[in-house]
Amino acid sequence: MTALDATTRPDSLGSRQQRGAPVPASRRRPRSLTHRPATGVLLVAPALALVAFFALAPLVLALFISFTNWPLIGEYRFVGLDNYLQAVQDPGMWKALRYTLLYTGIVTGPILLLGYGLAVLVRSNRRGATVLRTIFFLPYVIGLTTLSYMLVLEAQPDSGGLNRILAGLGLTDGSTAWLLDGVLGTVVLSALVIWAVPGLTMILLLSAMQGVPAEVYEAADIDGASWLRREWSITVPIIRPAIGMSLIISVIGSFLAFNQFFILTKGGPGTDTTTIVGFVYNRAFVELQLGSATAISLILVVFTALVTIAQFVLLRGSDE
Amino acid sequence: MMSRPVVKDRRAVPYAVLGVLFALIFSLPLLWSIFRAFQPNETILGTPAIPELFDLTWQNFSVFLSSDAVMLRPVLNSIVVSLSTAALTAVVATLAGYGFSKFSFGGSRLAFGLILLSMMVPFQAILTPLYLLMNSVGLTDSLLGLVLFSTNFALPFGIFLMKNTFDTVPQALEDSAIIDGAGTLRMLVEVLRPMIIPGIASSALYAFLTSWTEFLGALTFLTTEKYFTLPIALLNIQVGTYGEVDFGQLVAGSVIAMIPCVILYVSLQRFYVQGLAAGAVKG
Amino acid sequence: MIDRRQLLRAGLALGAAGTGTAALAACAGTLPPIDTTADNFGAGATGSVTVWCRAATQTAIQAAAESFNALHDDLQVTVLPIPDAQYVTKLATSIRGGSVPDIVDFDLINCPLFSVREAFADITELVEALPFRDSLSAGHMGLASYEDRLYGIPFIGDYSTLFANTDLLARAGLALEEVSGSLESLLEACHTLKRELPEVAPWTFPGNASGAMGFTIQPMIWAADTDLIAGELGDQSGNVVGNDVVEAVLEFHRQLWVDELVPQRAFVEDGSQWGHDYRSGEVVFFPGAYGSAVAEAEESFRPSSQNVLLPGPTGGRATFSGGDNMCLLNGAPNPSGAWMFMRHTLELDVQRALPDSGYMPIRSDSADDAFAESYEQAVLPVTHLDEGYVPSTLAYNLLYNQSTSPWLAMIRRGVFDGDVPGAMAEAQSEYDRILTQTQL
Repeated sequence: MTALDATTRPDSLGSRQQRGAPVPASRRRPRSLTHRPATGVLLVAPALALVAFFALAPLVLALFISFTNWPLIGEYRFVGLDNYLQAVQDPGMWKALRYTLLYTGIVTGPILLLGYGLAVLVRSNRRGATVLRTIFFLPYVIGLTTLSYMLVLEAQPDSGGLNRILAGLGLTDGSTAWLLDGVLGTVVLSALVIWAVPGLTMILLLSAMQGVPAEVYEAADIDGASWLRREWSITVPIIRPAIGMSLIISVIGSFLAFNQFFILTKGGPGTDTTTIVGFVYNRAFVELQLGSATAISLILVVFTALVTIAQFVLLRGSDE
Repeated sequence: MMSRPVVKDRRAVPYAVLGVLFALIFSLPLLWSIFRAFQPNETILGTPAIPELFDLTWQNFSVFLSSDAVMLRPVLNSIVVSLSTAALTAVVATLAGYGFSKFSFGGSRLAFGLILLSMMVPFQAILTPLYLLMNSVGLTDSLLGLVLFSTNFALPFGIFLMKNTFDTVPQALEDSAIIDGAGTLRMLVEVLRPMIIPGIASSALYAFLTSWTEFLGALTFLTTEKYFTLPIALLNIQVGTYGEVDFGQLVAGSVIAMIPCVILYVSLQRFYVQGLAAGAVKG
Repeated sequence: MIDRRQLLRAGLALGAAGTGTAALAACAGTLPPIDTTADNFGAGATGSVTVWCRAATQTAIQAAAESFNALHDDLQVTVLPIPDAQYVTKLATSIRGGSVPDIVDFDLINCPLFSVREAFADITELVEALPFRDSLSAGHMGLASYEDRLYGIPFIGDYSTLFANTDLLARAGLALEEVSGSLESLLEACHTLKRELPEVAPWTFPGNASGAMGFTIQPMIWAADTDLIAGELGDQSGNVVGNDVVEAVLEFHRQLWVDELVPQRAFVEDGSQWGHDYRSGEVVFFPGAYGSAVAEAEESFRPSSQNVLLPGPTGGRATFSGGDNMCLLNGAPNPSGAWMFMRHTLELDVQRALPDSGYMPIRSDSADDAFAESYEQAVLPVTHLDEGYVPSTLAYNLLYNQSTSPWLAMIRRGVFDGDVPGAMAEAQSEYDRILTQTQL
């Protein structure tokens, strides 16, 4: 018995078509008289305690710090909204924000398209589909951090794999310093992410796709519709919630991108490949201006939340 | 698992071609890196002719795996921390998921919302306040502190996953068990276990993976070298903390970092895939 | 039912906020100062001493700790290596958190950051009482002092000098002392080398390594008695635009690049392969450190590697007085024992062993005959400690060591892009901005 089997049983939550829509609480959780609320509280308490201590309390503390001039050591003093006002006028912050948006814009589309394509490839039950699925998801499992360490080597001028191949093909002389240039570095970083992340999108879309009833496709086949047309008019609308979720996860991930930038280009040259989180990191740990850094990161939290909500609204807007 | 009839043959060829193509695209770079890890530094840093590429050696790995390996410690630390994180996350997320799914109590929506909110906070933002907090209770510079931190990192997703898993458990199953006199613990361990194992495995695996590659937190909270984890060791190699940058070691270390992820994933993948899919799609 | 759960929730939230403010209250100020003038301070202490050290220089201090531990049964020193990039933040947060090690051994340029904020113990009397006080490196002592009091001791030296492969020089008919009087004559020498020995590069510099270039190129500016920073600690500004010496040094390097007197790799070298080409005999002149030019080289190579202090555009000599200082922290658990160890590291036998780890002693009286025999290239800097300089500023890290530094940007723009005036103007405004931002 698998989780997927469970979803097809009649008394599971909602029907398949309603999977995307919010289901009212009363229908979602049939009450059981013997499920004491007190036990419920006990069950969620450990999780809440952890989250409260490791995420919420620091957030409150960060809020406090953002209103001070928190120096390296010694007394701090309140500066009110100064940090926020300075941040909004800081060209460095806007540069980092613009770069992050640019990067997000570059990678979001390809990740979604590639993930979708991989899902289409793998969703049939042909031979080798499972093997393919495993391979496609592997980079994501290994993680961007480890992959970045590997890529550092291959992006080296002259000796790195990338350059050897390009030189071998006669396209360049092999001395390109990919990681030392803003544009080239962005190309390398984007390529890495577009290569590594679609596996996740693929998985997220896959199950949704497999839930589309066969009859729907058969009807379209009789009409003689092309493959692309079928996908666009039939599959996409049905799995729209899954697409929406993939987009949201992808966009949040891109906004908060840090590790691969830190490892590959360190935000350089200068600040040409510094993302907004990279900017916060520099502000806090290199320039040692913690008040300002926390103010900026709180702005980022709000910004991310707003974008996420906007995505939610837009993607669910026209659902029934 | 099939929900569609046998596909038409005319798509078999494109499928095969694309399948092989993408399989190569996704696997070749990884295989190449593994191959690289066995090349000596002269080959890695130089521009050798094709035959020299195959002069292989174990030397890059010796720093990690030999008996006097200075890097063995970080590998072991990583293993301990990640396994503990996985176990702890699985337990806490399962309990919480069960609570949020099947129990109703005041403020549960709020609590769940707070947990989801924490997913959106870039933890680089709260790194220093968190350090101060952890320091005040003595959790900095300890593997326990790191485990708790990593668990918290993986919790929101795990809870999300487990809640959705529990949501699919039919009430009738629970009700009949309750009539039989099952308490909460027995319910979870005996009655519901088969249905929630995929979710638990997914949460555990996800927690392991996030903890395994986590490096900024480890870098900030750990001071004593003997607690360092593998990603920190790799970072130190990359910036040449111990002298010149040894790219051979960097690649070898990355390969070592890669292996547990791959092994765990491949062996548990049927849980992971289903768990992810079921959990996320219901959102 | 509602009340209890909501109460629980509220309690949780309050608890979170409470822990937060408690932590905040606990980390408001600094730790209580230590009285180092008390009787019996620094004698007969027992227990353990904790030292934080730079991961980069840990071999040197491990050796010192070992020799100390061997001499003292009841007082043991433990060394904890800290990665450079995390050092300052870690120290700051632990001071805030109230739990500090006894001693920090770290890059001397970080000293002012902490001494101006009363993090270190005032050890003026202890240091002045040392018999060899006057032979201690001036550069290090400068950074360890604040408002005429001393807050640290020098430990390790790292002095930049101009190294040259004298074998290759001889083949081109040149002698190091003669040609290295000024940047002008060096440029000529490089052209000669290019003619006579086309298969090697006359010069090399790591064009993408901010810190390494700060270490080796700044002395060329100091040799002409000027600096890029003007003003006293706490009230500084940039001294770039209008500074002819800076312009001359930039032009010198631009010429090296344009005339192809340096390897192509200079454009991307970020320090990770620093000195590699010199040690393999592909380069003649190498402004560098003892470690990368001698200690890391093959035994057979060392004799031909000779050095002089770095010259300015038209003359003068200077060297970067780099390395580590050791400071005793206010709030240290075992301050008396800590001073005993600090005193030990200044002993001649400990100092004289430093070149084995690639570093220099900070006592000018270390250079005796035995020393000169084993470490001939170390004699020059050690006997010229007085000519060592390093700027005292709270912004050193931001100005010179980070990859986002205006120093690096200025060099890259002036040397590789060829826009020297523009590079200097940009650097001036960045220096001003950063120096203002880091004032107390």
